[in-house]
Amino acid sequence: MSTDAQGQSSLRVLQRDRSTEPLKVFCGHCGRSPDNESEADSRVCTKCGLGLMLQAPADAAPGPSDPFLVVDGALTICAVSRIAERLLEVSETEAVNRHVAEFLVPADAESSSGESLASLLAWAARGETPSAQVVIRPANTFGVRYWARVGPCGPPTAALLVLADAR
Amino acid sequence: MPRTCSDSLGVRYLKTSEAAALLNVSPNTLRAWERRFGYPKPQRSPGKHRLYTHGEIAALKDALQEGLSISSAVSRAREGLSADADTLIGALSSFDRERADSAMEAALALRSIERSVEEILLPSLEELEQRHGLDSARWALAARWASDWLRRAQRLTPPPVRRVSLLIGDASRDELDPDAPAIRALELLCARAGARLLCLSVRGIAGLGDALAVAEPDAVVLAGGFARDDEVARWAYSVRSAAGALPVALYRREVLRPLRARTTGAAHLSSAPSEAQSQVLELVEAGRLASEKRTSPTRLVPREKRAG
Repeated sequence: MSTDAQGQSSLRVLQRDRSTEPLKVFCGHCGRSPDNESEADSRVCTKCGLGLMLQAPADAAPGPSDPFLVVDGALTICAVSRIAERLLEVSETEAVNRHVAEFLVPADAESSSGESLASLLAWAARGETPSAQVVIRPANTFGVRYWARVGPCGPPTAALLVLADAR
Repeated sequence: MPRTCSDSLGVRYLKTSEAAALLNVSPNTLRAWERRFGYPKPQRSPGKHRLYTHGEIAALKDALQEGLSISSAVSRAREGLSADADTLIGALSSFDRERADSAMEAALALRSIERSVEEILLPSLEELEQRHGLDSARWALAARWASDWLRRAQRLTPPPVRRVSLLIGDASRDELDPDAPAIRALELLCARAGARLLCLSVRGIAGLGDALAVAEPDAVVLAGGFARDDEVARWAYSVRSAAGALPVALYRREVLRPLRARTTGAAHLSSAPSEAQSQVLELVEAGRLASEKRTSPTRLVPREKRAG
């Protein structure tokens, strides 16, 4: 609720202010967080050496044992974590520059919200959406579904898809 | 700021520690990237140490700032590198030799001369050959330009340092032969590896002995597929008569019927010039070891030692 120039109350959509949210720094490959400031300042993970240091809102960021992917605004995969490589049976080098739908597809037919996985990822890649949860499955597998959370990450701004729990 | 070294063509090289410092990673990380991503791809110094081209490291550094993973950064850096081949093809297709020179200079800023030749120059020529054919004006210009460029690069090569002398029997037709640029590339790479070279057409037999007396070759490479087998056999026989039995290798030459005399055991070299160059030098080494064994007196080993 806000007040306009004439002093009348009106309803309008407010952008969520993410600048005040706590951010978590993590490696885009091993998912581990830095132990000290110098590690956090490094662009490349000093622990595994195979990932770039990214940051995401604490509620969207992955834990060290969470499989996750980083997707850009065109929905092409930019990074695949080590655990996601094992889970999806694909190496990061093979997956990079391919469309996310080649590996993961929505699997929540009963979902009441009209927002598709693609829309959520596209919004997150622009840094415009709060963290959201979706149900997905590997594109080539039936019978396995995952809760996944989608949120923004960066730099540069991209979407983070963390596979949380198998259902 | 890392100290860099450069070669005769001005290509700047970085040692592993210098490249790692530029990227702000450890040398182990850089080696791990080489294993996992095949990039950056270093050359080896004479002492077998890794040498990275400055341009390749700089391209990766920029890509890391804009990327979301090492894989995507490597992919982006590679895309930048492949742009040089397109530029060269475009320049030669539009008969612009100066722009072709600039494309090779840009390629040399990012990679070694060996890789610039193998990854940019030769593939661009193959592409032009496929697009326009060997009887086209574009191919004529491209082949002539490539020959000039490779010879110029060879002239800038430091004097030979190895005690290796190679005789290359050029069995290609002329500069417009599709094998000719690869043969010039092999010459360049052998010269850069420190070998002394004598490249002669297989059609020139008169006075061959005088040339061989000066060159004293350690091995013979028969390169190119145009000349007939009997022409090549005559030339090979003249070489053998003048210089004795030498290791023989075939480069870009398919032989339906094995050449007679000592060439029946000829080694077939890889069509990639850098690999072929390594194979030739190995062949020379193997030939030397074999001749040393033949000339050294047989040592008698006591019976009890043999039994032990």
